[in-house]
Amino acid sequence: MLVQVPGGWNPLLGRLAIDQIPYTNPILAPLFVAVVIGAVIILGLITYYHKWGYLWKEWLTTVDHKKLGVMYIILGLVMLFRGFIDGLMIRTQQVWANGPQSSGVFGAVHGYLTPFHFGQVYSAHGLIMILLAATPLLVGFMNIIVPLQVGARDMAYPYLNALGLWITAAAVALIMISLFVGDFAHNGWFGYAPIFELQYSPGVGVDYWIWTLELTALGTTLGGINLIATIVKMRAPGMTWFRLPIFTWASLSANIIALTSFPALQVALFLVACDRYLGSHFFTAGFGGNLMLYTNLFWIWGHPEVYFVILPAFGMMSEIFPAFSEKPLFGYITMVAASFAIAGVSWLVWLHHFFTMGAGPDVNSFFSVATMLVGIPTGVKVFNWAFTMYRGRITYTAAMLWAIGALFLLLVGGLTGMMLAIPAINYMVHNSVFVIAHFHSMLLVIVYAIFGSVLFWFPKVFGFKLDEFWAKTMFWLFSAGSVLVFVPMYMLGFMGQTRRLDYVFNTAWHPYLVTEEIGIAVYCLSVAAFFVLLYVSIRDRVKNRVGQDAWGTSRSLEWLTHSPVPFYNFAVTPHVNARDELAWRRHNGINEAQPTQYVDIHMPNNTGVAIYIGALTFVLGFALTWRMWWLCLLSLVAIIALMIVRSWRGDPGYIITAAELEKMEREAMQRQQQVEGHLPHHGGQAVPGGAMAYEGQKVSPLGTPPSSGGDHH
Amino acid sequence: MSHGHDNPILHPEVQMSSTRGYFTGFLISLVLMAAATAMVSSHAFPPFGLLMVITICAAIAIIAQIYFLLHIDVSEHNIWNTVSLVLFIPLFIFTIGLTWWMFSQLYLRTMPMMPGMH
Repeated sequence: MLVQVPGGWNPLLGRLAIDQIPYTNPILAPLFVAVVIGAVIILGLITYYHKWGYLWKEWLTTVDHKKLGVMYIILGLVMLFRGFIDGLMIRTQQVWANGPQSSGVFGAVHGYLTPFHFGQVYSAHGLIMILLAATPLLVGFMNIIVPLQVGARDMAYPYLNALGLWITAAAVALIMISLFVGDFAHNGWFGYAPIFELQYSPGVGVDYWIWTLELTALGTTLGGINLIATIVKMRAPGMTWFRLPIFTWASLSANIIALTSFPALQVALFLVACDRYLGSHFFTAGFGGNLMLYTNLFWIWGHPEVYFVILPAFGMMSEIFPAFSEKPLFGYITMVAASFAIAGVSWLVWLHHFFTMGAGPDVNSFFSVATMLVGIPTGVKVFNWAFTMYRGRITYTAAMLWAIGALFLLLVGGLTGMMLAIPAINYMVHNSVFVIAHFHSMLLVIVYAIFGSVLFWFPKVFGFKLDEFWAKTMFWLFSAGSVLVFVPMYMLGFMGQTRRLDYVFNTAWHPYLVTEEIGIAVYCLSVAAFFVLLYVSIRDRVKNRVGQDAWGTSRSLEWLTHSPVPFYNFAVTPHVNARDELAWRRHNGINEAQPTQYVDIHMPNNTGVAIYIGALTFVLGFALTWRMWWLCLLSLVAIIALMIVRSWRGDPGYIITAAELEKMEREAMQRQQQVEGHLPHHGGQAVPGGAMAYEGQKVSPLGTPPSSGGDHH
Repeated sequence: MSHGHDNPILHPEVQMSSTRGYFTGFLISLVLMAAATAMVSSHAFPPFGLLMVITICAAIAIIAQIYFLLHIDVSEHNIWNTVSLVLFIPLFIFTIGLTWWMFSQLYLRTMPMMPGMH
């Protein structure tokens, strides 16, 4: 039943052999040495400072949504860097390998990358940027912010949350190891039939690609289930649907897309795996297969996926604009409706990725119109943001700059998207770099929103602000880089440059390619500015400490608790009175009101099961890639056994007593008083009738020491 | 909306599950899958008839799985299952229906008609 693979295979190691390690590759071998040295230094430092216990107890086994979110974001930033390096390699190859006179090194006729290696670089770039950089970054933010915004102690399923992270980490590990063991796919990030079939791609690259995608799809689906359940079931008292903060609405719509669309990807790739492993013919030209069926199945997931990544970014922008315009968000209801309209239409547009398939005028017209419909809710959002800023008291913080930058990019990307939605234009520029420039504009909207959010929510999570000067420096460098890379790319697209060229024949395009390369250099400077930003901010962290409301103009519930957020989020679950709860409390003078008495809190325990299962899924993916059947079976059985053991044991959780809570709260309040430098004003007298800060408790100002009572145990 | 720590075993959707229900659902799916595989590998009918028969098998299997394994019905305590069903139906129609439409249009232009299709 199993397909005979070309090359050697043995029962123990599968296809793995010493010649699969690219130790003669002039790029990968030195990189491998550098990675090993870097890993030894990091592991050595952890050992030297005796941090293993801390790392294991506080991070690797945690089920705290904030720490998991931070790890998601770190993972995403590392992969964003890796994806950027891939982009740098692509641009450098194209500017070098331009025209017949161009030189070649490292075995390449032109440039420094052989076509096969170049194919792997652009495939990895796309896959990493969308699924292993943007997605973990956004999931990380949703993880941190959504439970805080709905006033929950944690996600609905804390252990499932950890599992989602470690499965995503397994996918990251799998794509990273493909650098040094075997090859990666050369079929583009979304793959084409029949090039990914075994006859045309006999190596393990495509297998790495399949299992990386399968794992990340699994991790994201689990995260989606968790977020939906959290938003539906875990809202604080008084948090009605139309008091939900807008980022939470955006997360809900995005995760409904994720939950419904990722299975389509998993099925599509499972069928590819059947073709490659079992010799079926789903996507071959003969034996009843259909090449375009793969493209169809992939984009049934693929287009909802791009809205899955853009909707949380819109949500982030919707949080940043009001905070720095000192106004409520304009058109809250229409914003919610627009998010769900985008989510709904996302299911009706996937054919626009292959207008040129030849499905005929009726089909193309339908999908063209459906695609253009997306412009309506998106336009609503753009106008809402503009009206939010209109006559607002705007502060141009770095976070606000990133959000405004995202708005401009959305205009560029959205309008070029409208052009591409017209089949007649699409036929002209299909597979040209015009399309590449378009979707990079859109994905840069996400990157801008993410960096804006990093600046906006960093003080909430870590308790101190990032340095404004370096954040703005990074913003301007990054924006200059974006313009220099992507404006010439739009032009080259119109001139006819197609995507994925390992050799660019037309020397007339050289000035444009050089401009793009200069843009990449400017991007490099912005990356450097980011590292300086982190260094300077951490160095000056004491000076930049903030209180609960880091910006003084924040509006939603997450700003009500201390900064950094205690592991139990809210000492007492707040009662929600208004849509912008903190703004409402500030207006009524009770924004610093504290609960008068505490009660015991039930919290989930840490667990190592999630990271073990993550590690085992990595082993499973690796074994499947190299066809080590015994290891597949072993890791699969181990995963199932762990699942059963865990579900048998369950988690009784543990209790933080009211007295312990009171002690921690008092310390947090003292910290806050030090930071704010003043005793909080007395509030609580002028609360409108019927409103309350905490269920069943009278409002008392911060100065009054809270009591744990003693009659409520 | 505060979340109680009540016994999850007592949740109505958990109460609905029974060994017999799961076993019945599993058995029906297994039998239908085996029957479909057997009919296809023995070419029991002409291609078009075969297509029809295995489609019917698949439809019955889906309904059995929805009922016996996923416990989706329209009762009060299953409201979220009903919501997901309501969401699922248009998605199912869109993805399958639009795919069928685009490929039938594509085949009009690119494929010789398969024998037995008419």
